[in-house]
Amino acid sequence: MTEPLPHFVSSKPFDPAATEVFTAAQERYYLASQWQLMWWKFRRHKLAVVSAAILLLSYLSVLFVEVLAPYELSTRQTSHLYAPPQAVHLFHEGRFVGPFVYPFTQKLNMTTLKREYAPDTTRPQPLRFLCLGDAYKFWGAIEGRLHIVCPPEGGTFFLLGTDRLGRDMLSRLIYGARISLTVGLIGIAISFLLGITIGGFAGYYGGLFDNLTQRTIEILKSLPELPLWMALSAALPVNWSPVLVYFGITIILGLLDWPGLARAVRSKLLALREEDYALAARLMGASPGHIIGRHLLPNFMSHLIASATLSIPGMILGETALSFLGLGLRPPITSWGVMLAEAQNIESVVLYPWLLWPMVPVIVVVLAFNFFGDGLRDAADPYH
Amino acid sequence: MIQASSAHRRTWFALAVIASAALAPCAAWAAMTETPVLAEAVNAGTLPPVDQRVPEEPLMVPLEGEGLATGQPGGSIDMLFGRAKDIRMLVVYGYTRLVGYDRSFNIVPDIVSTYGVKEGREFTFKLRKGHKWSDGVPFTSEDFRYFWEDMVLDPVISEDGPPDELLVNGKLPKFEVIDAETVRYTWEEPNPNFLIQLAGAQPLYLYRPAHFLKKFHAKYTDEEKLEELVEKAEARNWRALHFKMDRQYANDLPQMPTLDPWVNTTESPSERYVFKRNPFFHRIDAAGNQLPYADQVVANITNGDLIPAKVGAGESMLQARNLELKNFPVLKSAEERNGYAVNLWRSGRGSQLALFPNLNVKDPVWRQAVRDARFRRALSLGIDRNEVNEVVFFGLGVAANNTVLADSPLFKPEYQTLWADYNIEQANALLDEMGLTERNGEGFRKLPDGRIAEIVVETAGEDTNETDVLVLIRDSWKKIGIKLLTNVSTREVLRSRATSGDLLMSTWTGYENAVPTADYPPFELAPTRDDQQNWPLWGLHTMTNGKGGEAIDDPTVQSLIDDYQAWLRTSDQAERTAIWHHMLKTHADNVYSIGIVSAVPQPVVVSNKLRNVPKEGLYNWDPGAFFGIYRPDTFWIEK
Amino acid sequence: MLAFLLRRLATMALTLLVISMLVFAIIQLPEGDYLTTYIADLQAQGENVDPKKIEFLRRQYGLDKPVVLQYVYWVAGLVQGDLGYSFEFDKPVSTVVGDRLWLSMILNFATVLFIYMVAFPIGVYSATHKYSLGDYGITFLGFLGIATPNFLLALILLYLANVWFGTSIGGLMAPEYIDQPWSLGKALSVLEHLWVPVVVIGLSGTAGMIRRLRANLLDELQKQYVTTGRAKGLAEGRLLVKYPLRMSLNPFISDIGSLLPQIVSGSVIVSAVMSLPTTGPMLLDSLRSQDMYLAGSFLMFLALLTVVGMFVSDVALALLDPRIRLEGGLKR
Repeated sequence: MTEPLPHFVSSKPFDPAATEVFTAAQERYYLASQWQLMWWKFRRHKLAVVSAAILLLSYLSVLFVEVLAPYELSTRQTSHLYAPPQAVHLFHEGRFVGPFVYPFTQKLNMTTLKREYAPDTTRPQPLRFLCLGDAYKFWGAIEGRLHIVCPPEGGTFFLLGTDRLGRDMLSRLIYGARISLTVGLIGIAISFLLGITIGGFAGYYGGLFDNLTQRTIEILKSLPELPLWMALSAALPVNWSPVLVYFGITIILGLLDWPGLARAVRSKLLALREEDYALAARLMGASPGHIIGRHLLPNFMSHLIASATLSIPGMILGETALSFLGLGLRPPITSWGVMLAEAQNIESVVLYPWLLWPMVPVIVVVLAFNFFGDGLRDAADPYH
Repeated sequence: MIQASSAHRRTWFALAVIASAALAPCAAWAAMTETPVLAEAVNAGTLPPVDQRVPEEPLMVPLEGEGLATGQPGGSIDMLFGRAKDIRMLVVYGYTRLVGYDRSFNIVPDIVSTYGVKEGREFTFKLRKGHKWSDGVPFTSEDFRYFWEDMVLDPVISEDGPPDELLVNGKLPKFEVIDAETVRYTWEEPNPNFLIQLAGAQPLYLYRPAHFLKKFHAKYTDEEKLEELVEKAEARNWRALHFKMDRQYANDLPQMPTLDPWVNTTESPSERYVFKRNPFFHRIDAAGNQLPYADQVVANITNGDLIPAKVGAGESMLQARNLELKNFPVLKSAEERNGYAVNLWRSGRGSQLALFPNLNVKDPVWRQAVRDARFRRALSLGIDRNEVNEVVFFGLGVAANNTVLADSPLFKPEYQTLWADYNIEQANALLDEMGLTERNGEGFRKLPDGRIAEIVVETAGEDTNETDVLVLIRDSWKKIGIKLLTNVSTREVLRSRATSGDLLMSTWTGYENAVPTADYPPFELAPTRDDQQNWPLWGLHTMTNGKGGEAIDDPTVQSLIDDYQAWLRTSDQAERTAIWHHMLKTHADNVYSIGIVSAVPQPVVVSNKLRNVPKEGLYNWDPGAFFGIYRPDTFWIEK
Repeated sequence: MLAFLLRRLATMALTLLVISMLVFAIIQLPEGDYLTTYIADLQAQGENVDPKKIEFLRRQYGLDKPVVLQYVYWVAGLVQGDLGYSFEFDKPVSTVVGDRLWLSMILNFATVLFIYMVAFPIGVYSATHKYSLGDYGITFLGFLGIATPNFLLALILLYLANVWFGTSIGGLMAPEYIDQPWSLGKALSVLEHLWVPVVVIGLSGTAGMIRRLRANLLDELQKQYVTTGRAKGLAEGRLLVKYPLRMSLNPFISDIGSLLPQIVSGSVIVSAVMSLPTTGPMLLDSLRSQDMYLAGSFLMFLALLTVVGMFVSDVALALLDPRIRLEGGLKR
C-alpha cells in the first residue's frame, strides 16, 4: 500500500469559457440559428446560389408574363410563318442607332415550298421599350397594353422566330412558363404531404399499418408510370376546361410521385427509431408525432429535400412527356410540353431549328432545380 | 354440287351485256420469257415453266403512254408502314380483283376474263382457264362454290347471318356454278353496288382458296384432326380457326394461297415483311414477261411518326402513306442527296378538313340553332378559306366546300363556292336575322337561353393541322360573334360522343369518294351510316332499318334519303345524274358539312430507280386503291 | 428468418393479386374496348365494318362477357401460365412478346451498364471534391441528360446519326437484318444502332444515380468512424472504399426492385420515338388500342419482376444492415 500521489484540485468552479476562448467568428457560428447556418453553408455551393437566382427570376417572371412577352399569346402573323429568329442590331451602317431590327419579308418558294426570308438592311426599325403594344388581360382580369419591349411600329420583333402560324416563339415560351413552372410546385406539394405522412407513420409504427403501406407502395411501384398516366388521363372527362385539365394533370403527377418518397422516409425511420435518442424521447413520454417530426425527420431532411428537388423537375418533364403522348395538356393551351410536342418532327430538326427553343428553358430550369436541391441538401445536413 | 345445267353454258354469253369495251385483251403478246429469278426452280423441275404458270388467256397489260415503258423483271421495292397491320395495304396496292377500275375509273375485267350484267341484277363471271393460286392449285368455280355454300350458307360460319354486303333488301342472290370457269349471281332486284364492291380497295371477296380452307372446315375434315388443329392454334372452336385461317385481306398468313402479285412470306409479328412474287400471277406485258416486274416487295414496319424522316433518308422506294403536304419541304431538300423525286398527286377526298355540325345534338337550344340552315351558312361564310389554304397548305389546295372534285363528271363550280366565300357582313346579317342579336361584353352572341354562343369543336387529334385550322377559324368566327373552343380527344371518343349527342361539332375529312360518276351510289350524301358525324342518329336509323337511332324529322334531309332510294331503284344514267346533282345542290345550299380546303396535294416519294410510276395521279382510297389503279405490278427497278 | 421468408412470400402473392385487379381496372378505364378502337380504325381508313363480324369477334374475344368474368378468366389463365391472346396481332401474347424480350434485355442491360459506368466515377469524384470546379463541371455534364427532354433529343440524334454515319433511322438494326439469323454483320448493325438509345435513355438515368451516390457518400464521409479512420492514418483511397462507399450503396440495393423490370421494359417513350423493336413500344401500342390481354399480361409480368426484385432487395438489405429489423413493429 502506497500513499496516493498528492495532486492539486482547484476549488474554483469549472468554467469552460475560461479555457476555450472563442474567436468572434466562432462565437457567431455557435450562436447562429439553424437557418443562419444553413444559409452560410448554402452560400458555399456557388452553382446552387446561381440556380436559386435563376429559379427566383423564373418564378417572378411567371407573375408578369403579359408584360414581359412582346406579343400577346394568340397574336399571329400570316405574313411571317416559320420566320427565323430576327437579330437585334445596334449599329446601322457604322452608326449607333440603339437596339433595332431589320424588317424581313416572306416569300414562298414554290419549288421547295419553303418560306424564304430576305431582310431589308436599308431600313433599320428601332425597338420600343416600356411601350404600348398588343392588348392583353393581366391574369385574365385586368386589361392592359404595357409591354417591356414591343415590336417597332409597323414592323416585327421575333427574337426566337415564329412557328407555323406566325406566332412569336419568345412570347409563347414566356406564356408557357406560367403553366409548366407551376405544374411541378402543385404536384410536389401533394406528393410531399402524402409521402411524409404515410411513410413517417409506416416507418415509426411498423406492424399492420406499415405492412399495408408497404404493399400499396409495392403495388404502385410495380406498375410502370406509363399505363397509370394513360389510365388516369383517360379518366379525366373530355369536356373539362383547360384549367381543370391542368389541375387534373398536376394531381395525377402528384399522386404518382409519393410512393418513392414514402418508401425512403420509412426505411430511414426504421433504422433511426432504434437509435438511443429516440428511445430516450420515448421514455420521456414524447408522442410519436413529436418524435417523428422533432427528432427523426430532421435527421434525414437532407434526403427528403434531395428527393423533393429531384421531383419537381421530374414533374416538369412529366408534363412534357404527357403532352408528347397526347395525354396531357394539348393545344390550344400553351405549355413547354405542348411546344416540345409540336416540335417533335423532322421538319423542326432540319428546317426550322428555332422551334426547338423550348428545350432550352426546360433544360435550364430542370438543371437549376437539381443544383438548387443539391445546395439545399448540403446545407440542411445536420452533421457538418 | 353444281346446280347449273350444261345447256346454259353456251347461251349465257349471248344474253350477257358486255359492260366494258376494254374488256378482252385482244392484242397479241410475244412468246413468254421465263422470269430470271424463277429460272432455277423451273430448271430443277420444282416449278412449271412460265407458259404453264400463266392462264391460257392471261391479262395483257399494255404499257403505252406517257412515262410508261416495258420493264425488266427483278429487284425489290422497299416501303414503310406505320403498323404491322398495314401490310394489308399490299392487297390494296396489288389491286387484283375480279373486276377493277382502270385509270379512267371504268370497271374492267381483271381476274375474270369476261363478265356480263343483265337487268342490273344478274351477274355472270367467266374465269381464265388455267388460272392458278400462288401455290399452283387451279383457281376454279369450286373456290366460289366453297365461299357460297360452305361459308355464306354454312350454319356455323354464318351463325349471325350472311354478310350484309351480299344482301339486297335483305335477300341473298341465287348462286349458280355454270361450269368450272363460270359462276352466276342473280338477285331479285338490281344490285348497283355489286361491281363497285368487287372493284373496291377493300373488295368483296366471292371466292376463297377452297383447297386450303377445307382443312379447317368441319364438313371436310374429320373431327379428331380438326380438334388437334384447333388446339394447336389456341383457337376456341373450328369456326374461330377457320376465321383465323381466312386472311385474304389481312394478308398476314404466309401459308394462305393468294391471287395477288406478291405473296407474303413472313410470319406475324415482325418488323419486316417480305412479299415474294407470285409465280402464277395472271398478268403479263406485251413483251411476254410475266408480271409483277419486282421480285419482291419489302414492307418495313416503323413508328409512323418516323416515316417522313426515314423517307427523307431514302429508306423507301415508293411512299405516300404517312406523308403529308407539310413534309414536302424537308423531303424535297434531300431529293438529290438520296436519289428520289417528290411528286404531288391529287387527293380524292371531298375536303381535306371539314367541320361537321351535329344535327342530332342533345342540347335543345343548340339543336335548334344548328338545324337552321342560316346558322350553318353563316358559320361557313365566317371562315377565311383562302387564309387557311395559304397558311396551312401553301396555297396549293382549293378553298371550297365539301363536295365533288373537278375530276368528277358531276363537278360544277357552284357546288364548291356556294356559301363558301369569306363574307363577315353577310354572316352577321344571317345570324341577326335568326334573332341572335344580343351580345356580351366581348362581342360574342348569346343564345336564346342567355348562354354565350360558344361552339366546342372536337377533333380526333390525329394531326396538328386540325388544331391549326381551328385557330384560324376561331379568329374569324370571333368577328361574327361566335366563340370557338377546341377540344382534342381520340377517334373513338369522337364517335361515341357523336352518337350519344354530346358532341356539337367535330372535324374530319370530307367525302371519301369525291370523284364519283353518276353510277357510284351517293350514300355519303344521305344519312346512311352511323359514322356520319353531321347526323349519326339519322344514319343509324337508316342503317338499322329503323330499329336504332332517330327518325329523320327534317324535310330537306328526308329529301336526301328519298333521292338516295330513288337512285338505288333506277339504272338509268340520266336519271342517276339528275339525282346526284339534286343531292349535291342540296348539300351545297344547306351546308350540312362545312368544307374548308379541298384538293390538297399528296406527296408521293418515288425512288429514281423505280420506273412506270406516274408523276401525277389521283391518290385515293376508293375508287383508286391508292397506287392500285396504277398497277404497281408494272413498276420496275432500273439497274 | 425462414418464417419471415414464408410470410414475405405469402404477402407477395396477395400483392400480385391486388396488382392484377388494378392492372385490369387500368386497362378498362379508358372508354370502349379493343373492338371500338378497331372499328374506329377501320372507319378512319374508309374500310367497311360488318356488324356481324364485329359481333362474332366480340363473342370470340369474350368481350361480351361481364368484366368480372373476363377478369377471372384472365387470372385463371395467368396462374396456369397462359398469358392470353393478343387481338391486335391475332397471336398468343407469349408469341408477340417473345422476340422483343431479348432485344429489350440487350438494350436495357447496355443502358444500365452505361448508367453505372458514367454515374459512379462522377458521383465519387463529386462527393470527395465537394465544391471544386471539377465537381461543378462534371456534375453539370452528368445532369444535362436528365434535363434534356429525351424524346426530342432522340429524334435529333437519329437524324444526325443518319446524316453523319448513314445509320438508318430508328430500329435496332438495318432493315435487311431483321428476322435474319445472328451474324457478325447483324451484330455490328445492332451496335451501330444501339448507341443512340443507350445514350439517350442512359443520360436521363445518370443524374439520379450521381445525386444519390454523392448524397449518401457525403453522409457517410462525415461520420465519426471515417474521422477515426483518417486519424489512424488510413490511406484516403482505402478509407473511402472500405466502409463509406459500401454503406452508400444501400439505396442502390433497394433499387434492384425497380432495376429488374427496367431491364425488360425501360423508357417506353424513347423506345417508341425511335421505333425500337423492344417491349416498350409494344406496351404503348397495346394500351392505346386496348389490346387488353397483351397489355395486361405484360404489365403483370413487369409487376412480378418488381415484386420479386423488391423481395430480393429487402432480403439483401436485411443481410447488409442488421438494424433493419425483419420483424417490424415496435416492441414496447
